[in-house]
Amino acid sequence: MTTRREFMQTLGATGAALAGLSACGGGGASSSGGLPTPTPTPTAPILVIVNIDGGYDWLNVTPPNAGANLGVYQTKRATLGITDPALLTDLGSGMALNKDLLGMEALHAQGRVAWIPGIGMPNPNLSHFTTIDLWGQGAAVPAGTGWLGRFADTAFSPTGDVLRGVTITADLPVMLKGSGRTFVAITSAGGYVFPAYLLSTSTVPDAALLETGWANALSASSTDAGYLAGAQAGRLFYDAQNNPAFGTGGSLTARTPTVPYPGDATYPVLKLNGTALSSSLSSQLKLVAQMISAGLPAQVYFSRLGGWDTHSNQAVDHPNLQRALGGTIKAFHDDLASITTSAGNAQDRVLILAYSEFGRRVQENNGGTDHGTAGLSFCVGKSVKGGLYGAYPDLTNLDANGNMKYTNDFRGLYATVLERWLGQSAAATDTLLGASYPRLGFL
Amino acid sequence: MADLTAISTWTLADVQHFGRRAGFGLNPAEAATLQAQVPSVAIDAWVDGTGAAYDATAFTAALATADVVAEPLVSANTTVAGSVAVPAVAAPHPFLVQGADAWRNNLNTAQALLAWRMQHNPHAFEERMALFWHNLFATGWHKVNNAALMLKQFQLLRSQGLARFDDLLVAISKDPAMLIWLDSVLNNASGANVPNENYAREVMELYSLGADNGYNQADITQLAKALSGWSFTYGEADYIRNPANPNQKFPADARFKVYDGTAIAPDTRLWWSGTATVSSNMHATGTISLFGQNLDVTTTANGWAKGENAVRSIISARGSSCAQFLARRLLTHFVTTGFSAQDLADVAAMIQAANFDLRAALKALFKSQYFFSAANRHALIEGPVSWIVRAARMLCPSLASAAAQTPRGYPAWRLVTNSATTFDEAGMKLLDPSGPNGWKEHTAWLNSNTMRYRAKLAAALTLSETRTYNSVAYPLFPAAVTVDWFPTAPTSPQAVYDRLVALLQPAPIPAAVSSAWLAALWPATFTWDTAAQTKARELAFLILCSPSGQLY
Repeated sequence: MTTRREFMQTLGATGAALAGLSACGGGGASSSGGLPTPTPTPTAPILVIVNIDGGYDWLNVTPPNAGANLGVYQTKRATLGITDPALLTDLGSGMALNKDLLGMEALHAQGRVAWIPGIGMPNPNLSHFTTIDLWGQGAAVPAGTGWLGRFADTAFSPTGDVLRGVTITADLPVMLKGSGRTFVAITSAGGYVFPAYLLSTSTVPDAALLETGWANALSASSTDAGYLAGAQAGRLFYDAQNNPAFGTGGSLTARTPTVPYPGDATYPVLKLNGTALSSSLSSQLKLVAQMISAGLPAQVYFSRLGGWDTHSNQAVDHPNLQRALGGTIKAFHDDLASITTSAGNAQDRVLILAYSEFGRRVQENNGGTDHGTAGLSFCVGKSVKGGLYGAYPDLTNLDANGNMKYTNDFRGLYATVLERWLGQSAAATDTLLGASYPRLGFL
Repeated sequence: MADLTAISTWTLADVQHFGRRAGFGLNPAEAATLQAQVPSVAIDAWVDGTGAAYDATAFTAALATADVVAEPLVSANTTVAGSVAVPAVAAPHPFLVQGADAWRNNLNTAQALLAWRMQHNPHAFEERMALFWHNLFATGWHKVNNAALMLKQFQLLRSQGLARFDDLLVAISKDPAMLIWLDSVLNNASGANVPNENYAREVMELYSLGADNGYNQADITQLAKALSGWSFTYGEADYIRNPANPNQKFPADARFKVYDGTAIAPDTRLWWSGTATVSSNMHATGTISLFGQNLDVTTTANGWAKGENAVRSIISARGSSCAQFLARRLLTHFVTTGFSAQDLADVAAMIQAANFDLRAALKALFKSQYFFSAANRHALIEGPVSWIVRAARMLCPSLASAAAQTPRGYPAWRLVTNSATTFDEAGMKLLDPSGPNGWKEHTAWLNSNTMRYRAKLAAALTLSETRTYNSVAYPLFPAAVTVDWFPTAPTSPQAVYDRLVALLQPAPIPAAVSSAWLAALWPATFTWDTAAQTKARELAFLILCSPSGQLY
């Protein structure tokens, strides 16, 4: 049986191989002072959200490696803690990076990762669903809409721009719900059309008839929320499948990724048990790359990797999940370099924002960790000024439930992205969030 | 306020409203039969399943040949000693997922079985109520990894779904699939061990009280201690090996047991290689403090398990919060999301007055003026599974008719659930929700992707699509327009439309829309010929996909 340390030694070699796959690296600078200058904000920026769903144990992703925090961590994480230096890269400021978060070490060395530890909210709630809702709404006074939905309300055309916000999930997260506009949900690249039967020339134009039902509903005076929801969902589907980006048969132009993604047969890293990593996030981000390549006008994409609610079996599940998460983000970032459209090179255009609803309890249980509070977000992109933003929580000063006290308000991250990436003015940003939150310096 | 006094008479529209909400729809003839009965008598029988109309004899017999899709051969795994090929199973056959077939562990088959049951169970309410509880006690196959245990839980929801709520909550807390799903089997609080809080949190937040509604973090930790060691055992006979790969074995059944260091012979826990005779000791001993009350979780009474008193105290100590939680869920699923705070309080008070007897509470709700009020008619968006099941009930042959056909006239549900039409993409992956919070209802059912897949499901049903599986083409939803939809030949486009509306029962469709449809489909003279029957299929598709067609 391979030990974790032996595995990581093996990984060292494949990690180097992965780094070599970076087609458009920033020169491979790795020592302090040698970081490349971030590229300016592009004219057609794209935001890709990666939702780390379930409340991830970021204490084991970027564990403390010095000072009093390390002592607490070693005590409370006697079994699950990641303290072996061979498994870690020092990020400075008493924080290390778990090498299981594949590819992020290389991106960090290139200065393309902003780490935001201790991100959270006042009066934290330990419920997934309450907290997901609050993260989604992202408002000083939550009122049901999401921060990106409100952005869509102001930035997108009321009648057009159907494909400007896309989620690669079968559901529509609250984060993407506006009062008037909402995002399109697209989960596959092919067959994004009505059943072929309806487009048959031997019958009347049924697709148009179907649209009659939806369009009429939207123009009617109905105020019934259910009726309008049906009409809007149908109309979005209809308009999206009519977009020229979806070609013959309602399919996006096929695209072969230029790098291996986790889950691919050619991807060099596997799960602890030697089987393929999850391809869940890979499939989603490959589709995003394909959509960008096809010229879809989307400005915001939403993706999700679940499974992080590690109350149990964390020693096995967590490394596997980290490999899929980090590896996919790295592969996607590298893959984007090969995509150039009239709007520019995709790697220059994409900012990846990863977040989770909360971190987990500092004290482990038997084999897992329970719900906690403050989390870790990170942003990846060529425009990012890499480094640590905000303070690592003080593990010697936990709250009454043994959870971390947050050090960074999550709405400050949103404010930074709205103003410095999505082109909102400072005043408009504050309006969208309902208050002014301090911007972070990574953009 | 919600007027909870009982109705004394009902119209055909009332009966159809009741049938849609409390079952999977009634066709016009069925509705007329029910309307002839006194509402309170009819509703009692509907809920209880008593009387000839709900007799399950033919339904139960039909399960033996309910799957119309032939099961292909499973080749032996030649690298595993003792492997033998599993022969193909000719159709029709039972859904091969339980008992001796547990090793197949096929989610799509389990979903198909449930869809078939919803379509054909004469006691539809039993299935509707189980579907409601499945969304509330949402448990997922992807972690349980055992379709047979998932179906065992669904059967629990059927059999206990109208019990007292405290009994139901205890039963679901002891259910093997649930014990796996929220980590109860790994909750060790003996000695100095730190308990696993997963189930304790969600049983209050998601299953009985609602977030932050009458408990705090300390209560969660204490309840986790009370429920530590809650687990289950398998008997050797429960292990079902995959004949084609004997290394794979799945328990077809399991029994609740508190792991407190006592004997478990002759049963053994799955991962104990079959020799253990004593359970490990994972249960906390002594007294916990829950909701400000001290509870002894070591000694037992009333035949309760160790710690069971803690689950029951959720209802006894927090009855008002629990009743409010249940009222909200019942209203959202069965009545409307547009309830006022007073409506909610009224229904909660009724539930509490009924002492959490779900059968009594549901009957009172369904008989109420409030349930039948005009504002609540077509006021909800239907979930995708019941939406397609209801359409199938209306458009496909009845059980008696389908069972008499060769091949059987049942939908190929097994292919509906695993082909491009899947429940997953339509927004409700039956038996496998992504999280323990289940699915949000009403408007949350709809977005551009779920609408896309509703269109695919509607097309599969109305446009007579087939799917090829192992070189055999199967009709996904066999139905004959002339026999099943129009036993009386329509004489005009309007008559076609009226009949389809009577079957599918959408919310009112604006006249401008329906007239545009009819004008496009039948621009000239109407003749009830093959071409017109094809157009009738298209019209059914349009109704099902319209905004009105999502409401029920």
